[in-house]
Amino acid sequence: MADRSASVTWQGDLMSGSGEIDEVPSGAFGPLQVTWKARAEESDGRTSPEELLAAAHATCFAMALAHALAQGGHAPERLQTSATVTFVPGTGVTKSALTVVGAVPGIDEDAFRAAAGDAKENCPVSKALGGVEKTVDARLQ
Amino acid sequence: MPRIERHADVHWEGNVARGTGHISAGTGAFRELEYSLPIRIGRGNEGKSSPEELLAAAHAGCFAMSLAGELQQPDAWIDVTATVVVDEVEGLGHLVVESQVRVRAGVPSIDREAFERVVQAAHQGCTMSRLIEASAKVTIDAELEE
Repeated sequence: MADRSASVTWQGDLMSGSGEIDEVPSGAFGPLQVTWKARAEESDGRTSPEELLAAAHATCFAMALAHALAQGGHAPERLQTSATVTFVPGTGVTKSALTVVGAVPGIDEDAFRAAAGDAKENCPVSKALGGVEKTVDARLQ
Repeated sequence: MPRIERHADVHWEGNVARGTGHISAGTGAFRELEYSLPIRIGRGNEGKSSPEELLAAAHAGCFAMSLAGELQQPDAWIDVTATVVVDEVEGLGHLVVESQVRVRAGVPSIDREAFERVVQAAHQGCTMSRLIEASAKVTIDAELEE
């Protein structure tokens, strides 16, 4: 069992106020400023809940895929993954599109795509995104 | 309202037990955060992040914004901490089982009952709460401060 937490301080109302994600307990990042404008319009170099979710998903997916490939006897040399999260204000998060480009010795394209499809369904963050459309575009380098 | 897209990139090298990855935000707000399996599941974290910490940051950021949107108070302050819990579920492997949201807020001229209603509305309106609730539990501990 692992717990991870993060804290945010917000000042003011939604449209004119702003928030700060405190330095996270691990110390890996923060403080980071967040505003509604940066979330819903131009980011202007600021992060948002959707970008953090994309980072969580790409991270979880890379680990799950590395594990599955290694268990199948094809430990990857390198996996380049990304997640793009779509947010529709008023509706919510509707989609997370994963991509992966892998350098994996001794595996063919079909087996790699199948492993990527499994990792997309089974990593813990994917499972926490039950109601969201998830896609994966996988190819070998 | 238009669709908004945000992306992040990860570069992973090696197998899961001994390999490492690096996480970068599309906006450039953070770059090259290192992570690994021992960091993700262990107690120590040595300055390294994990998917669960990023999800906690997404949930806390979303909840704070949603509550600010419900309160509509230029003089309010809101502190939110989200703690994401991963546990092994028999037959299903490791799952996110819970996100615990702790809210402390200072809001001029609101009573406790109205505040509790607004917190519930913020929870209903927070897209990350809805996502997590589809497969796990969200608990809320909210208190109004002077």
